[in-house]
Amino acid sequence: MNLKKGILLGVTSGIVASGVSMLYNKVYSDAFYIDFHTVLNASGMIMACMIGCILMALGYVIAARLKRPLLIPILNVLYCMLSFASIIGVLSFKLPLDVEFPEMFPGLAVPMHFFPALSFLALVPFFWKHESRN
Amino acid sequence: MKRSIFLMAILLLVGGVFAFTQVKTWKIGKDYSVDFSAKGVNGIFKTLSGTVNFDEAKLSESKFVFTIDVNSINTGNGLQNKHALGAEWFNADKYPNIKFTSSSIEKKENGYAAKGKLTVKDVTKEITIPFTFTKSGSKGKIASSFSIDRSTYNVGKPGGDVGSSIKINVTIPVTK
Repeated sequence: MNLKKGILLGVTSGIVASGVSMLYNKVYSDAFYIDFHTVLNASGMIMACMIGCILMALGYVIAARLKRPLLIPILNVLYCMLSFASIIGVLSFKLPLDVEFPEMFPGLAVPMHFFPALSFLALVPFFWKHESRN
Repeated sequence: MKRSIFLMAILLLVGGVFAFTQVKTWKIGKDYSVDFSAKGVNGIFKTLSGTVNFDEAKLSESKFVFTIDVNSINTGNGLQNKHALGAEWFNADKYPNIKFTSSSIEKKENGYAAKGKLTVKDVTKEITIPFTFTKSGSKGKIASSFSIDRSTYNVGKPGGDVGSSIKINVTIPVTK
C-alpha cells in the first residue's frame, strides 16, 4: 500500500466514521432528550475520526514499506486495543457542571470511540486486496 | 353595631401591629448556587429549598431553614455522582436531604453569622455559618463561604483521594 492509497483509505474511513458518529449523536440525543454539544460537537467528531483513521492507515503504509505482512494482524489488534483503552478517558471525563445528565455521556461517547477502528477495518480489505493483487 | 365596629377596629389594630413586627419572609430565587470543592473533587447541588425570614433590624427573630436535595449532586461525571450517592458517601436512599436550621443570627464585622444545626446523613452538629446579605430594593442576595470536615458527618471514609475539608460556596438570591 503506497502513501496515496493509504491517505485515501484514511480519509474514506474517516468520512464514514464521522458520518456514523454524527448520525449516532443525533439518534442518541433525540432518543434521550440530552444535549452534549458543548463538549461533543460535529467539528470535534470529524477531526477525531479523520486523525484516527489517517493514523491507522499510516500504520498500514509503514507495514507495507517494511514488507512485513505479519505486522497487519498485529496492527489490527493494536487498533482494537487502543479503542478499548480510550474508553477510560470517556469514563473519567469531567463534564462542565452546567451540563445535565452526565451519567448519559458514556452511552454516547463510548460507542463513538469504536467507530474509527470499525470503519477502518471494514474498508481496509477493499484497499488491501488491490495491494495483494499487485 | 357599635360593639362589632369596636371589635373590628381592635382586630385591625392587632393585625397591623403584628404585620409591623413580623420579620420579612423572602422568596428564594431560581438562580441560586451551592458549590463544593475539596482536594480531588468539586461539584454542585442543583436543588435547594427553604425559608428565609430575615430582617437586618430584627436579627433575634430572623431564621433560616435550608434543605438541599442530595440526589441533585453533580460532579460533572456520572460515575462519580453515583458513587457520591452510595452508602459510603451520602447514602441518598436513606438520607435524601442535607438540612440547616438556624437558631440565632448575629451581626459580625463583615456581615452576619448564623448559628444552627446542620444535618448531613444521620449526624446533626451545631455549626456557625458566616454570610453576607446585600439588599437592593425588593431583592436581596445571601452569600456564604465556609468549610466543613466531611469526616465529622461520616461522609466517605477518612483519607483517600478526596480531601477531608470541603469548602462550600452558597449564593441565594431572594425577593420579597
